[in-house]
Amino acid sequence: MFFVAIMLTGSVIFAQTVSGIISDESGPLPGASVLVKGTSNGVTTDFDGNFTLDNVASDATLVVDFLGFKSQDVSVAGKSVINVTLEVDASQLDEVVVTALGIKRSEKTLTFAQQTVKGEDLMKTKDVNFVNALSGKAAGVEVRQSSSGPGGSTKIQIRGAKSASGDSQPLFVIDGVPMTNNKGGQPSGWNGVDGGDGLSALNPDDIESMSILKGANAAILYGSDGANGVVIITTKSGKAGATKVNVTSSASVRSIIDTPELQYRYGSVNGAKENWSYTSGDYADNFVDDWFQTGFDLINGVSVSGGNDKTQAYFSYGNTTSTGVSPNNDYKKNNFSFKQSTKVLNDKVKITSNVILSQEKTKNRNRAGYYNNPLTGLYWFPRDRNFNDFKDNYGIFNPDRNLDEMSLSDSGGWFVQDHHQSNPYWLLNKESQDDDFKRVIANLSVAWTIDDHFSFQMRMNYDFAKKTYDEQRMAGGNTTTVARNGRWAYQDFTDSKTYMDGILNYNNSIGDFTVNALVGATYQRTEYRLGVSVNTGMEDSGLLYANEFNFQNIGPIVQVGSTLNNNVEKQSIFGNVELGWKEMLFVDLAGRNDWASTLAETGNESYFYPSIGLSAILSKIIEMPDWTSFLKARASMATIGNEVPWNRITPDNRVTDAGTVSTNTVKPFLDAKPELISTFEVGLDWRMFKSRLGIDFTYYDITSKDQFLRFPLESQLYTSEYINAGEIKNSGIEITLNGTPIVTENFSWSTTFNYSANTNEIIELSPNALDAGLGGTEGFAAPLIEGGSFGDIWGFKFQRDGEGRIILDDTDGGPLKTAQRELLGNAEPDFAVGWSNNLNYKSWSVNMQINGKFGGIVASQTESLLDGNGVSERSAAARDRGYENINAVQNGQPVTQIDPFTYYGEGPGTGGRNGISEAYIYDRTSVRLAQLSISYQFNVEQLDWISNASLSLIGNNLFYFYKDAPFDPEITNSTSRSQPGIENYNLPATRTTGLNLSVTF
Amino acid sequence: MKKIKYILIFAFIFSIGACTDGFEELNQNPNQITDESLKQDFQIVGSKYAPLFQNLFGNQIHHNLSNESWAQHLAQPTVFVGNANNTTYDITWNPNWGRTYNNIMSPSGLVMLLAEEAELPLFVHWAKLIRILAMSRLTAFHGPVIFTQFGGAQAGYDSEPILYNAFFTQLDEILAFFKANVNAQDMMQFDESYGGDISSWIRLVNSMRLRLAMRISMADPVLAKTQGEKALSDSGGLIESNDQNLNVFLYGKVYHPVTISFGWADTRMSATMESVLVGYKDPRISKFFDEVADPALVPDHPEFPYKGIRSGASLDAKGDHTMYSNISSDFKTVTERRFMGAAEVEFIKAEAALRGWSGVGTAQSHYEAGVNRSFEEWGAAGAATYLANNTDLPIDYDDIVYQGDRNDFVNKMTVTVAWDNALSNEEKLDKIITQKWIASRTNTMESWVDHRRTGYPKLPNIFDNRSNAEDGILADDEFLRRVIYTNGQRQNNAAKVAEAVGFLGGPDEIGTRLWWDTGANF
Repeated sequence: MFFVAIMLTGSVIFAQTVSGIISDESGPLPGASVLVKGTSNGVTTDFDGNFTLDNVASDATLVVDFLGFKSQDVSVAGKSVINVTLEVDASQLDEVVVTALGIKRSEKTLTFAQQTVKGEDLMKTKDVNFVNALSGKAAGVEVRQSSSGPGGSTKIQIRGAKSASGDSQPLFVIDGVPMTNNKGGQPSGWNGVDGGDGLSALNPDDIESMSILKGANAAILYGSDGANGVVIITTKSGKAGATKVNVTSSASVRSIIDTPELQYRYGSVNGAKENWSYTSGDYADNFVDDWFQTGFDLINGVSVSGGNDKTQAYFSYGNTTSTGVSPNNDYKKNNFSFKQSTKVLNDKVKITSNVILSQEKTKNRNRAGYYNNPLTGLYWFPRDRNFNDFKDNYGIFNPDRNLDEMSLSDSGGWFVQDHHQSNPYWLLNKESQDDDFKRVIANLSVAWTIDDHFSFQMRMNYDFAKKTYDEQRMAGGNTTTVARNGRWAYQDFTDSKTYMDGILNYNNSIGDFTVNALVGATYQRTEYRLGVSVNTGMEDSGLLYANEFNFQNIGPIVQVGSTLNNNVEKQSIFGNVELGWKEMLFVDLAGRNDWASTLAETGNESYFYPSIGLSAILSKIIEMPDWTSFLKARASMATIGNEVPWNRITPDNRVTDAGTVSTNTVKPFLDAKPELISTFEVGLDWRMFKSRLGIDFTYYDITSKDQFLRFPLESQLYTSEYINAGEIKNSGIEITLNGTPIVTENFSWSTTFNYSANTNEIIELSPNALDAGLGGTEGFAAPLIEGGSFGDIWGFKFQRDGEGRIILDDTDGGPLKTAQRELLGNAEPDFAVGWSNNLNYKSWSVNMQINGKFGGIVASQTESLLDGNGVSERSAAARDRGYENINAVQNGQPVTQIDPFTYYGEGPGTGGRNGISEAYIYDRTSVRLAQLSISYQFNVEQLDWISNASLSLIGNNLFYFYKDAPFDPEITNSTSRSQPGIENYNLPATRTTGLNLSVTF
Repeated sequence: MKKIKYILIFAFIFSIGACTDGFEELNQNPNQITDESLKQDFQIVGSKYAPLFQNLFGNQIHHNLSNESWAQHLAQPTVFVGNANNTTYDITWNPNWGRTYNNIMSPSGLVMLLAEEAELPLFVHWAKLIRILAMSRLTAFHGPVIFTQFGGAQAGYDSEPILYNAFFTQLDEILAFFKANVNAQDMMQFDESYGGDISSWIRLVNSMRLRLAMRISMADPVLAKTQGEKALSDSGGLIESNDQNLNVFLYGKVYHPVTISFGWADTRMSATMESVLVGYKDPRISKFFDEVADPALVPDHPEFPYKGIRSGASLDAKGDHTMYSNISSDFKTVTERRFMGAAEVEFIKAEAALRGWSGVGTAQSHYEAGVNRSFEEWGAAGAATYLANNTDLPIDYDDIVYQGDRNDFVNKMTVTVAWDNALSNEEKLDKIITQKWIASRTNTMESWVDHRRTGYPKLPNIFDNRSNAEDGILADDEFLRRVIYTNGQRQNNAAKVAEAVGFLGGPDEIGTRLWWDTGANF
């Protein structure tokens, strides 16, 4: 409070009413804003350009603003009528944007595509995982979320996958400094849980804006880390002037949408675990719905900002509490940030420090895959059995051991011993996973204005995270994954990154020329996953005593591992010159040399790469019609070197859990080179009708060469090798349209439409191997194949005859599958659109985000197993009918009807673990109302102590306008690159709706 | 003054870049162990042998759902892949190729290079011997394999005659070297099987030669006899008592079938084992398997409360059969696993006697010694009574949990335990191989070879034949004769696979007979 008190400044001298007309050279301007400087007292002009302002101090200054015009400050000086004529101003078009390394550039000079999203637009609907809100807001940015719930990770990709070895994730940068965004483990088709990522540590309320540098041209100043694009986050700072206290509070409910379509009328035969009876019964149909619950998200925050001309400060605290839609899943987060800057030495040196602290605790993040996932047992449960028997008696007392076990029993425990399924309530009560993240990011920067032309900036940043994953499974659980005394998997490690840079800037104008130049150096040291890891495994003696999960209780055969998976130092020097001529033509040249420790011993640890860009403001060069306010053409090319991952050059032997030494059989890679990514892009920025309509168009072409690839060596002296080979090409277009079609006194509508389409092509892979796998599961595979694309999904198809009829097995009559996997389609969409709309009517505003993905496929192992187990509604509908319709042929005879089990069941039919993949492929196309907020701005003019108050009704992922798949196709099993578009017992998608209150004091 | 400012700034900037001294160390994983470090205590070569032994058998899909199932020792209650899987002749898992090359051939090759560099020829020969142990198993799955041309990309296959000749030649070299260094102590620290005793390894070399010679006894009778007699007459001797067996140490790990049986409930006693052991009133049954808890499962033999599952059974639900006999709980505490033993050597000698190879006693003496060695090995009493039984035959099987004759079979085995010199050679061979089959419990690889080679024991066919055009169709009265080549080889080494198929003399299918599988016994 002391902090707040010292910042309270300002006083009111005298109050009066001021009115007038705002116009431009052609007449009155409706919708212009008139604001008393330094206050929140403001109005917009009516249809005739009139305004009236009460409570204006006699010595106040009015600020008059309208889009596309020069802002004007007018002193009141005791006048009661003030008329203002605004001038059209190209400088409005000349927005200053934050680009690489935190360097501010005038937007018109940029030679590459950059798109900015304001923090308030991201936070309008208060998504617990705020990065999801980026979806659709910037052209060419692909966002897919994990199904693991609050605090889960997100897959973000800009302009397609560029590297065959990495994730192709963009670099996240906070206030010019690269941040660590490490992902925890990701589920495979079989097993696992999302380990989260680094973005959740941020408090989204601290974000002023996010800028997306899409191409490598923009990112060259970050080096290889920026090869996949850069998301630049600018955080809020204190501002000189009155101290502002902002309090926001939102409460929302989260509910499941689109659970699979299940049947509850056909049970099992002879106690089988599958539901393949043909006699329907009246069975309970509520146990799946009963499992899920309504989740609640509470997000509260307070921020205080203020300062004077010398010193400004910003403090914030955020608290998120979220309960999931699965029982026992919850997420808690606390964020603190404190940022201050002070000018010293005659204002020549500005020292800024920023500290961000976060703490996240997640309990029982939703699993995916088969193992220890409650959804398999829940969905497949034999309908003729009584679920309540198992719900209540998930554990059966074993007198021999004096503890409860999930024993095989018809009246409790679980009815089947099956590695794929367990009693969901046993898992709920007896198995847990806690994720605990703590993180601090501390940053100090010193900016020195040396003279009119030179300035120097130095930054130091330390990013430190401590993470604990603690998975405890009690004795008596599923014997496939839980040992006699239980099982403990525990990881405790730290991630750290030290970053330093120094940049010398030079700016000057010489005649018609302007020069912006810089030279700098960075040092970066990362050390990830430094800690310990243990998994007590499946041996009886893994844990000495039952249900004690600590190091003391570990048996002698369990290996406690030291972990470290990235220990890298990178040094770079770089330079950049931007030359302008008459504010019309700009040339941008940059070059960078990196030294990367991951290329040690190869002789290639030092590598240089350049970029060049050109932009021309055609509207200045050529006479344009009046309605064109601004027209710019830009083109740029760049090459970026990407170092190889850590510890790949000469890998070594391992000490195994049996105490033996396992020989390294990976071939040393002493001639490794950095991967090279070359990009070319051209674009057009065209603004019309006093900038009320804008179109930005980009075409890009990105070629990645010398890919760092690992290939298995079939039956050779070494079992695998790394090579530099291959060529991957991404090309595409991005179009952003923005406009303000309507501005009237009371109503305005502004809209942004983003369109992007990317084509990925694997032109060449390797001279000595045919394909490299990306992973996959069961029948589905995602190989990288020459001539194919990233995201290709392969699987087994129906065998068909020349007429396209499905061929049925001669004897059992089931549909036959192809002998080999074939290409089923690609997981990436043909094109994506995002459409945001802001509607304002008096005190009301509506914000709406509609997202659409068109084309591409998704695959569902869930549906395949639902069919195999006879619990899908379609398998029941077929049984009601007595047959399923089919266009098939058996022994040369046409067949139009097929027995439901023969068609769907595991074995003869399409379903099951290794069924006919083609039957479980769906169109990814979906169009949804991704975000909606309806806000009301309270009239607080009468209240001295409140300057702003609003209440919003908010919703995320509200409904689909169109969707083909039986699940949300934008949910991904793994947010790493493996298993693109393949879903396997993921938690269904959720919708949130709630209220958000924001008050500024 | 002003200039100094800029000089300082540039000096700062360039002091960051270009200092790459610590890079090499940074790029090493401190949690791995380098060869340099392993030079301490002379671990660099010897420490790497343990994983080679550990990988001889593999895991569930490598043996339990492969040879253990095809040899009908163990069977599965689990309805894997809708019951169309390896056990029902639809090749679903084909992992032995990858395991053998990636976990044995490749690391042993690299270890041999290190051993040569370090001038440790004894270790080179030891690695060579381990490779023969592994590759002689792999060829029993596929036939022609990559052996003499192993090393580079797209290596060529050896036809089986070339392969077996190479095995014998290499065994010659190994034997000669071992004999010349019989007192060497170098292996002591690293040899968990024989404690570095070279003379024990010499007995194994001779025994392996004898095993491989008998495999090819009908394919190349001349070579088989020469090699067999060489093994029988070598001064180094053969494995003759159980304390000379080659047992592979488990390195503190649980015997893997314990996990499969007790942990995953994925394997049980086979119906064939029930038929044979109960029929012969074999005392070893309690050493091999656990009794069932419910006497209602064994109404036809309550005095032998053991119940097995039909090999390649038709199954509705896993829970239907998991109450059948587990493997013996005693296996939970074993610390090693037999690779080759005295009983097997005796049975081979018995067969050698039938074939007229010199250097052996009578077939009867070796047959009975084989049974005795096996009883001793398992700690079972009553071998004499057992050997005298000339009435009991294996019994018919009833899958008690399923109605009707589903999974049931009528016993086809016609030989009793007791030796009878009046029998034909064919019948004597039937007795020998049937007892060899029982005695091989826990390592069925050679029993699966014997069944294909001789047709004995007269196993029932699998019940649910799911063989199909993809891997080769088998009639219901046929047995699987080999495993197809892997997709990895078919895709990445297609030309050489085509050559191998030429050597095979039939399609790359499960019904194609291997070289030594001639269909005739004499």
